[in-house]
Amino acid sequence: MKQYIAKRVGYAFISLIILSLIIFLLVRLTGDPTVLLVEPGASQADLDAMRKQFGLDQSLWVQYGHFVASLVRGDLGHSFYYRTPVLELYLSRLPSSLLLAGAAMVFSLVIGIPTGIVAAVRVNRWWDSAGKIFALLGLSLPSFWVGLLLILFFSVYLGWLPSSGSGTALHLLMPAFALGWYFAAAHMRLTRSSMLDVLGSEYVKLARLKGLPEALVISKHAFKNALIPVLTLAGINLVIMVNVAVVVETVFAWPGIGRLLYEGIAFRDFPVVQATVILNGAMVVIVSLLVDILYAVIDPRIRLAR
Amino acid sequence: MRLARSFVALAIASALLAGVTALPAAGAEGQATWAVHISLAPTWFDPAETAGIITPFMVLYALHDALVKPMPGKPMTPSLAESWTQSKDGLVYEFVLRKNVRFHNGDVMTAEDVKFSFERYRGASATLLKSKVAKVEVVDPLRVRFTLKQAWPDFMAFYATPATGAAWIVPKKYVERVGDEGFKKAPVGAGPYKFVSFKPGVELTLEAFEQYWRKPPSVKTLVLRTIGDESTRLAALKRGEVDVAYSITGPLAEEVKRGQGLKLVPTYFTFTTWLVFPDQWDPKSPWHDRRVRQAANLAIDRAGINAAVYLGLSKLSFSFIPQGMDYFWAPPPSPFDPKRAKQLLTEAGYPNGFESGDLSGDTIYGVAIGEPVANYLQQVGIRLRLRPMERAAFFKEYGEKKLRGVIFSGSGAPGNAPTRLEQYAVTGGRYSYGAYPDIDGLYTEQVNEMNPRVRQQILTKIQQLVHEKAMFGPVIEPAFLNGVGPRLEVHGLGLIANHAYSAPYEDLRLTRP
Repeated sequence: MKQYIAKRVGYAFISLIILSLIIFLLVRLTGDPTVLLVEPGASQADLDAMRKQFGLDQSLWVQYGHFVASLVRGDLGHSFYYRTPVLELYLSRLPSSLLLAGAAMVFSLVIGIPTGIVAAVRVNRWWDSAGKIFALLGLSLPSFWVGLLLILFFSVYLGWLPSSGSGTALHLLMPAFALGWYFAAAHMRLTRSSMLDVLGSEYVKLARLKGLPEALVISKHAFKNALIPVLTLAGINLVIMVNVAVVVETVFAWPGIGRLLYEGIAFRDFPVVQATVILNGAMVVIVSLLVDILYAVIDPRIRLAR
Repeated sequence: MRLARSFVALAIASALLAGVTALPAAGAEGQATWAVHISLAPTWFDPAETAGIITPFMVLYALHDALVKPMPGKPMTPSLAESWTQSKDGLVYEFVLRKNVRFHNGDVMTAEDVKFSFERYRGASATLLKSKVAKVEVVDPLRVRFTLKQAWPDFMAFYATPATGAAWIVPKKYVERVGDEGFKKAPVGAGPYKFVSFKPGVELTLEAFEQYWRKPPSVKTLVLRTIGDESTRLAALKRGEVDVAYSITGPLAEEVKRGQGLKLVPTYFTFTTWLVFPDQWDPKSPWHDRRVRQAANLAIDRAGINAAVYLGLSKLSFSFIPQGMDYFWAPPPSPFDPKRAKQLLTEAGYPNGFESGDLSGDTIYGVAIGEPVANYLQQVGIRLRLRPMERAAFFKEYGEKKLRGVIFSGSGAPGNAPTRLEQYAVTGGRYSYGAYPDIDGLYTEQVNEMNPRVRQQILTKIQQLVHEKAMFGPVIEPAFLNGVGPRLEVHGLGLIANHAYSAPYEDLRLTRP
């Protein structure tokens, strides 16, 4: 088991090193950030001074060396745009992102699981069709469009909810819905298919043959077993939500990591993009690592097979 | 069926709950709130880091004050300086400071702070400005003297306008105590508002500084809130969550015009857009013929573009130098005359027009204005393929002189006519694809000319030559459109010439304090 864990940790570490190299090179392919930080028409001397200040006048490998050395020290660099330490910026935005992801996850589970169960239990009937439409819309409607419609309806027409920003529970409702709908649809589909698998299994048939009430068969025998893959997916989705909230956070002016990443990309703020991608990547890698380890703990065949 | 009923009941309950707990839409008492289109950065709190863009002045006008700065009706208004003098030889500038001006922490402003602020300035044009200044001397606590290495007619144009932030004064003792990073976290200035709190990229809160020398501000609290999405800014304005929403364009601007109690207010800064003909120096190119360039100028319906994109609120432009810049010369307007344009093309040997490759531009103005421009040129036979490029990539290729065909250019860089000419129209300019010897000669002549009248004459001559040669194809000076809500009686937009944002903040007034 120890060997297995060490191997997985090694893979995770290598993944992060490769990620850091890729993102370091990719952001530099996107163009010169200094031209976005001054007005077009600024003098060459100003641009040169800014490049020097940001260390962009040095060769790529020298820059990468500095970057890695700083990373080892836990220093993710200074933002070109904000001119403050990136780690400080990231940590100031992280709680908002986690809050939004958490709320969106609660929403997606509260909606996705019951509708998935109902769709499976009432398969090929009205509820199933409604569930399929819900899932189709959730998976296909772009979140920025959903977000704008929500603002238009609930803020502008009804005046019930604040249009943007953060600070109260009411601020959270629309962004959580806009972000969570896609995942609710995904959870609904997985719950439905998982429930259908379980409902067709031998032990469920046996439970029915024994004359147990249908509600008990569904809630005790089928639902519990069907829930395992859904919760596994939900765990990974929670991290993904933090990473993909870029559009929702921008539309609702939600002060999270997604918006920080968007701004970083818009201004070619290399340190911000690098740090956000690496830290978000680390989050995904760590969660995947924990899932791998947990699976290995639960199922010895996994660690023996690898 | 029971399940369906439960869902309906839940939906109704949620709706009622939301109704009961709905937020009040109106802004807080004594507070004015702005929806800002761009992320607020702490670097804007420190005048030493002003990056040659107008945006930081949105914050500088609140937190800080300058010796001399643009104010309503006057581009160079004595502020922290009561007056200044210039020696006859143009080498010495002496500023007399206002007495008993206090920073937000209670320190009294002195000449030491002025010297310190200049010396620590490292923002736009810092190298140029400092290379011209031989020394800065504190004559007495209320008098500071700048001695130049040689006469430089643009000293005040760089020192006392948004071209730099060098004249914006910070408290020496405080900065030395807290350091540069500490200063950005808790800035102290001599402006009408003092710092309260800041969430980077999210929200800045400022409170009125009652001891501000000019007058105590009327609005107690200012909040600048970043809302990146234009539709969301409009929604916030309509709901009364904000009092001013910056940068509202196109159909959304129409919506503001229609909105009850809302106003659409354009502002202007030194921003203009124009076509560059980089192949005009290539004898094989159709653009080498002046008549072709003149035809392009006549083919563009500037008023039509203005009406369609900016609701008619932008300024038509016939020069690549903005109308608000010093030494600007107004060329005669080019009428929209496609018939004459076609005639000129025929005279130049292109009766059926010609293929001109790409019209390269950025994805913002290069599309919004560039696309109709390409269509108008197409109508007279100048066939171009619109090539919108990501902003950084566009300016990189533009600066490296890699673009051909026609370039859709724009600049909002502060300065004056000579600084704009230097970058785009003379040899060695960052964006100059070529030059003409007569223009180059006159440009060199004006550089050290201390007599403003003579300098004006030379610069007028240069601009006349640029016009006669049809060197560029000016299009429009885009308006910066903003939505204003009913709570602000004086919103400050457009009070200061060439300033895009609300200012001076101490002049703002709420309809109901």
